[in-house]
Amino acid sequence: MLGALLYLRLTSLKNLVRSRLLRLRQPKYLLGAIVGLAYFYFIFSRPFGGASGPVSASAGGALPIASIPAVELIPLLSVFGAFALLLIALFTWVAPSEKPGLAFNEAEVAFLFPAPISRRRLIHFRLLGAQLQILLSAILFTLLSRGWSFLGGNILTHTVGWWLILTVINLHFTGAALTLTRLFDAGISVSRRRLVILVGVALIIVATAISIWHYAPPFPSGNVGPGAFFGAVARTIDTGLLHWLLLPGKLLLAPFLAADVRAFFFALGPAALLLAAHYFWVSRLEVSFEEASMARAEKHAARTARFQSGDYRLGSAPAQARREPFRLRVPGRPELAFLWKNLLGTRSLFHWRVWAVCAVVIAVGVPWIVRRGQPAPIGAIIAIVAAFVAAYTLLLGPQLARQDLRSDLPNSDILKTYPLAGWQILLGELLAPIAILTGLLWLALLAAVLALEPRAPTLAWLTPGFRLTAGLCLAATVPVLCALQLLIPNAATLLFPAWFQSTRTRGGGIELMGQRLIFVMGQLFIILLSLLPVVLGSALVIFASQWLIGLPAAVVLATALALTILAAEVACGLWWLGDRFEKLDLATELRP
Amino acid sequence: MIDVSALTKRYGDFTAVRDLSFTVQPGEVLGLVGPNGAGKTSTLRSLAGIIPATSGSVRIGGIDLAADPVAAKRQLAFFPDEPRLFDYLTVRQHLNFVARIYGVADHAALAQPLLEELEIAEKADQLPGELSRGMKQKLAIACGLLHSPRVMFFDEPLTGLDPLGIRRMKDSILRRAREGAAIVLSSHLLHLLEEVCSHVLILKKGGKIAHGTLAEISAQFAHGETGVSLEEIFIRATGGSEN
Repeated sequence: MLGALLYLRLTSLKNLVRSRLLRLRQPKYLLGAIVGLAYFYFIFSRPFGGASGPVSASAGGALPIASIPAVELIPLLSVFGAFALLLIALFTWVAPSEKPGLAFNEAEVAFLFPAPISRRRLIHFRLLGAQLQILLSAILFTLLSRGWSFLGGNILTHTVGWWLILTVINLHFTGAALTLTRLFDAGISVSRRRLVILVGVALIIVATAISIWHYAPPFPSGNVGPGAFFGAVARTIDTGLLHWLLLPGKLLLAPFLAADVRAFFFALGPAALLLAAHYFWVSRLEVSFEEASMARAEKHAARTARFQSGDYRLGSAPAQARREPFRLRVPGRPELAFLWKNLLGTRSLFHWRVWAVCAVVIAVGVPWIVRRGQPAPIGAIIAIVAAFVAAYTLLLGPQLARQDLRSDLPNSDILKTYPLAGWQILLGELLAPIAILTGLLWLALLAAVLALEPRAPTLAWLTPGFRLTAGLCLAATVPVLCALQLLIPNAATLLFPAWFQSTRTRGGGIELMGQRLIFVMGQLFIILLSLLPVVLGSALVIFASQWLIGLPAAVVLATALALTILAAEVACGLWWLGDRFEKLDLATELRP
Repeated sequence: MIDVSALTKRYGDFTAVRDLSFTVQPGEVLGLVGPNGAGKTSTLRSLAGIIPATSGSVRIGGIDLAADPVAAKRQLAFFPDEPRLFDYLTVRQHLNFVARIYGVADHAALAQPLLEELEIAEKADQLPGELSRGMKQKLAIACGLLHSPRVMFFDEPLTGLDPLGIRRMKDSILRRAREGAAIVLSSHLLHLLEEVCSHVLILKKGGKIAHGTLAEISAQFAHGETGVSLEEIFIRATGGSEN
């Protein structure tokens, strides 16, 4: 029987690899694969914290941790790693819902559950299936950690080390899922289980705090280096009861952190014992997991389908009807109906009332904090943070706020039957993300303008009046700038629908990752190209006119020019893409 | 009302619809039938303005669909086989949205009887995710009917409906036709065509094989026999295969 299951796994794997290779005949996948491979080559070939090699490496690293000598660093990593594993184990027991079940997909449920296969064999099938992913992950992590100069060992010890860690984690997840299912079937509710575990955790925390209070070495005082600081933290954690709780994690990490092959073989025994104990635990569990696994498979399939249709919510809870963002009056501009519809599809947080409250809080809070914080440069810190938030929102926001044609592409057949021109549909679809990003950017701008109070004499020209003028000018350009930013990914969706649809597939290999990278790079390139005339024109206007009309008026004039150019670019884009939308036949475009 | 002249739709080298011409007058229901791959969906999608025709013309209520698509689309409604709905709009909000798109001023007064006719009034504040497949289909139909279209295109209209829903859908199609709408529907269910359609257009490999009233089509393929079923006529007309 296990042979049949093995056949299923291996044949599926063979066909998967074959189909992936075959689809490289299509330029979109081939180009994606090339870019993805180039990216991985860049990542793997880049040293992390110094040159690759044996334990020598305290030599010049980019991160503070790399400056700690390897002799001190390995024990620290052992403690911190074991602590992380302990937290993962705790999460495994607290987080799951009623009956977590085991992860089978819908086809596996349909074919294997009614088949004459024992539960134990199904568990083994599941464990076997996970091994492929674990092996690939182990290789990937080994490649990623290849440049960690402070590690000893070699590529083989690292791969085996990662494999051991990931396999034991997987076995622990499986064992915990089955045990929790059994507990629930025995009448122990989720809340009771969580209460018992959290009380246990609280007791451990108290016991640990007492032992730290009594036995932990004193924390170094004064200006200590990173080595002394992290060493003190590790010694504090590794005290009393916690020392024993961290022991399994340390044993598991030991082969990966082994300095040489001899140390690796010494560490392998205890880690293998830990793995064997986990396997024994899981393989002996006789639990009715089928029902929970079926529910899990259905949820997973629904989530995947949602993701592919443009709904990126992570949770599995069904959507709930929401209060309307504003009253949609009829008749009126049809574009606003799209804004109304798409705002209904966002989180309830994106509401003008929430925005107004935030604006009031910033308008009152920021000047108060700046005043209270003096003489510390709190204002400058707030302004810098606000500027970073604004830059992040402007650059990455369009990738996250997708309540536009990217979400509605599967509905394009219906949209096209509407008595609207293509540009109207496109404009309507863009309005919701424009409103959301504009709202966020205006808040960041408000915070920056209120916080900025330069005291340096060289910045005397940044008077409150000028700051207000510049802030208002920037605020005026924000919606058009957002529109331009959003137009690009929507253009990509319309011009390369097959590409766009394939990037929606979750996971999907190196070629899909490459495709996503191409999209991001394309977005950056086109936005820079579009902004070039705006920046050059505005700079020229300011340079030429400030001597005549003063800097604030020159900025206003430059803003007017910038707005004109941006609006023209957006209008051209809308017109062109609207025409493209009218001619789009998604069924043909997505034909393999 | 619907005037199709030399309609051709090509996908690259493949011709899905070839040189198709026909008219549908107000009050007529035209059934589009044919084996799989005959070009029914491509024809319907071209007629509804979803995809552009490669050549030929489609006039809806006298308006050229290619020259003035917005005006032509104001008069039509397309009902896909699979209801395409917005995940976060309730039943009522769907109607509100469609009303704004089509400029239906008195939509509230129109929507309620429509919801009641389709028996989804009780679900008015629910999201599509909370509706059954049949209910979703009914909502899609309500959205299509809200602006009182004079031309309707149905792609497999009975998919997912229960027997009562099927009966009501047939009645609804016939009632709209009696009220003067021109209707084209595509279906594999020949009994639906017999009950609902006044005319039939049989397609095969993108081309027109036969077009006319049910009686005319029967006469054409019955070869003098009496009591020949539409199924038999269909098989005779299409040669009993997709090719």
